[in-house]
Amino acid sequence: MNGADLAARFLENAAKAAAGTHLLSGPEKLREALAGIVPPDAAVYCPGATEIERAVAGLFPNRVADYADAAVTVEEVFGAVAETGSLVCASEGGRAVQAGLLPSHHVAIVRRGKIFATLDGLFSVVASAPPTNLTLVTGPSRTADIELTLAIGVHGPEKLDIILV
Amino acid sequence: MIRTIKEQGDTAILLVEQDVRTTLTVADRMHVLDNGKVVFLGTPQDRRARGHQENSHGSVGTMRVLLFGTCLVDTFFPEAGEATVRLLRRFGAEPVFPRGQTCCGQPAFNAGYEAQARAAAEHFLWEFDGDDPIVTPSGSCAAMVKHHYPGLFRDDPKLFAKARRAGERIFELTQYLVHVAKAHEAGLRGKGSVTYHASCHLLQTLGVREEPLMLLASLNGATFLPMPDADRCCGFGGTFMAKLPEISLALADEKAASIEATGADTVTGCDSGCLMNIADAMRRRGTKIRVAHIAQLLAEGL
Amino acid sequence: MSHEQTSLAFRENTVRALEDSALRAAMKQAADTFGTKRADAFATVADLEALRDRASAIREDVLANLPMYVDRFVTAATRAGAVVHRADDAATAREIIRKILADRGARRIVKGKSMVSEEVDLNSRLEDAGMEVVETDLGEYIIQMEGETPSHIIVPAIHKNRTQVGRLFADRLGVPYSDDPQVLTKIARKALREKFLSADAGISGANFAAAATGSLVLLTNEGNGRMVTTVPKLHVAILSIEKMLPSLADLPAFLRLLPRSATGQTITSYVSVITGPRKAGDATGAKELHIVLLDNGRTEILAGESRDILKCIRCGACMNVCPVYRTVGGHAYGWTYPGPMGMVLTTLLTGMRKSHPLVDASTLCGACVGVCPVRVPLSDLILGLRRRKVREGFADPRERRGMKAFGKAAASPALFALGQRLAGAFWPLVRALGGKDVAGRMPPPAKVPFRRKAP
Repeated sequence: MNGADLAARFLENAAKAAAGTHLLSGPEKLREALAGIVPPDAAVYCPGATEIERAVAGLFPNRVADYADAAVTVEEVFGAVAETGSLVCASEGGRAVQAGLLPSHHVAIVRRGKIFATLDGLFSVVASAPPTNLTLVTGPSRTADIELTLAIGVHGPEKLDIILV
Repeated sequence: MIRTIKEQGDTAILLVEQDVRTTLTVADRMHVLDNGKVVFLGTPQDRRARGHQENSHGSVGTMRVLLFGTCLVDTFFPEAGEATVRLLRRFGAEPVFPRGQTCCGQPAFNAGYEAQARAAAEHFLWEFDGDDPIVTPSGSCAAMVKHHYPGLFRDDPKLFAKARRAGERIFELTQYLVHVAKAHEAGLRGKGSVTYHASCHLLQTLGVREEPLMLLASLNGATFLPMPDADRCCGFGGTFMAKLPEISLALADEKAASIEATGADTVTGCDSGCLMNIADAMRRRGTKIRVAHIAQLLAEGL
Repeated sequence: MSHEQTSLAFRENTVRALEDSALRAAMKQAADTFGTKRADAFATVADLEALRDRASAIREDVLANLPMYVDRFVTAATRAGAVVHRADDAATAREIIRKILADRGARRIVKGKSMVSEEVDLNSRLEDAGMEVVETDLGEYIIQMEGETPSHIIVPAIHKNRTQVGRLFADRLGVPYSDDPQVLTKIARKALREKFLSADAGISGANFAAAATGSLVLLTNEGNGRMVTTVPKLHVAILSIEKMLPSLADLPAFLRLLPRSATGQTITSYVSVITGPRKAGDATGAKELHIVLLDNGRTEILAGESRDILKCIRCGACMNVCPVYRTVGGHAYGWTYPGPMGMVLTTLLTGMRKSHPLVDASTLCGACVGVCPVRVPLSDLILGLRRRKVREGFADPRERRGMKAFGKAAASPALFALGQRLAGAFWPLVRALGGKDVAGRMPPPAKVPFRRKAP
């Protein structure tokens, strides 16, 4: 499967899980995309740890230092899995995986080259030396505990947006 | 004795006999009747020749099959047994009912009484010994023989081998009718509307899914109305009905509701236990739908 | 609140359940929903049978080498910084956990869903010790509020309808009444968020454990599993020893099977793989991770004829299709695990003496065998337990006598025919003798049995 197919498949499956999906032709389009996704006055947590994060951090006038106080987290994640439409969030390099868990809106930026085609592909890479925390995120949080009726947004985010660059 | 009287030469003998093979050895002329209808008239030599002729045309011929009636059919639903006999004869088989047969042992086996199940199974293997095919109008009984008999004799190589062989020889009725007799191509007649309940052991253990449907679909003049959740358990479960009758009835009631929802005037199936359970649920609901074993429906269409 | 096992009252429990129209309606809706969802979910799997075979083979390998995999897990988890405890039985597990929490002065504990924690009755022990234990899975939160036990291993409050939940929340949380699941969910989110952030410790189970790296794997949808395991500074995980997988490389097969089998989802919203506590340079993870490995009879089960039940991955598919479970619900079974896998596991873990009616709770229809993702031979396991029940003397005496007579009649045509004639002649008496539950449902014997008309 070539890169374009992989990207398309990943976004298709992510959308099936109720994630908002955004395919960008290049990192220069990030400003525009984020402007459309994140409300201008929202309290945003952006780690500013990766190159991409540093490039976009300045977009948010209301940046907060603690993700527990944020309404939105904007961050770059480790990678993705096309088979399931999942993000891969890892604690490697001092990342706080729970930054994408506590706020009600998670905006995750993924680089095209970091998409694994299948779950086997991902786990064969991480199986021998997994980080402290590796989490696959597929869509926003949900439950069907009441009458098996789907309700979106439980303890984790109510909204998930994925930006592919 | 008949031969002795015959040799004396001065007495006309009218022999009324059900076992064709014995008559072939002593009769001069034969009238063969099926349900009051004369189906053959001639000499034993002609009869044998016709048998061979049918064989050489690739049809079943007069293949001997052993009929396992099952204890439920024997005791409560003899009409299903009679229908089975008519069907087998129509399709060129010569059904033989080993007189000493009793029960396949399922009730004991399912309730955990291995010794009693083994006793029943050993008796079955004795009564049904040999190489002839065995045909039975019950999916659960065929499944019992095929699936569970060998395990009952794991400590006895000779009986284990017989059990394995019996499992290879046994056919549930619709399996036989479709795969051996090609009865679904015979243009049987039917009337009204029919729906079908798929019994659990028939489906899950024997893997018989299409055969009953093919036979029902072939009935000219009858409409087949599929049942939603046809393969949901009706709640019979043999000893289950006795041990947890409230749940059994609740499940049968649900099944009856599914049947009523089809609008069919008849419900059929391959297992008498299920049909009995369903019939009772429908009786309690005041439903007037006919419950009949598939053997009966097919035999009526001959 | 401690919950006594009521499996001996199974039949009475079912009679009560059959009369509970709200429960019946809820169970019927659930059965219909699960049926559709499962079919849709597996439509996207290329070769389901090959996947089941693979998962089954992995689980069989684990069981064949369980002590080795457990040892390997302990070594690897310890190397990753976790403290691993082995608990032989429920009481030991409870005490180990109580002590860990008490030693650190933990008062407020947030908890993710864990069937094993129900099995050992952990909550009541901790509550007796003065701790506040908050169930955070929405279904568990609801039943904890009601003072009930879960009735399904995946959807604990499946027996409740939206009206009941709405009234419960209005009553206990003082919020305006609503029966909209979306609104009720938001209410729970708000109420529990505060608990997560102020908790001293989080307790979780684990769906799988990877032996090679000492990793825990949690499959969740709500996010509470993630909260519980990463927000408080102390994380205690409890799991039973058969949850092992050789390594994370074996996980994909189960990620493909479990969510589809359980709820019809392609994958759960979250799959968390936790390897050790927070280390130097980490910003994620509890500061302390304690892992309690529970045996509670499993080593013994492994050595017996029912060992294949330990292949179970707790997906709930069997109970979703079981005609008995879907009619009477989970509480009737009287203990932690209901439905087909529950009948077997409960009997093995709590003993025949306390559970024997459960082995009869099946029509042997085989629907469970048809859906089990790891090919647990449930029908065979149930039959094996029935044989044990008879051997160990727990069978009904009348049934024993009846079966002995049956055995003789089945082997003797003369006796059999006599039995038929007697049954026919005395049918009204048979019915009157209390056989009306059964005999009342059967037609009277035919006047002429088939054997007298057969060729």
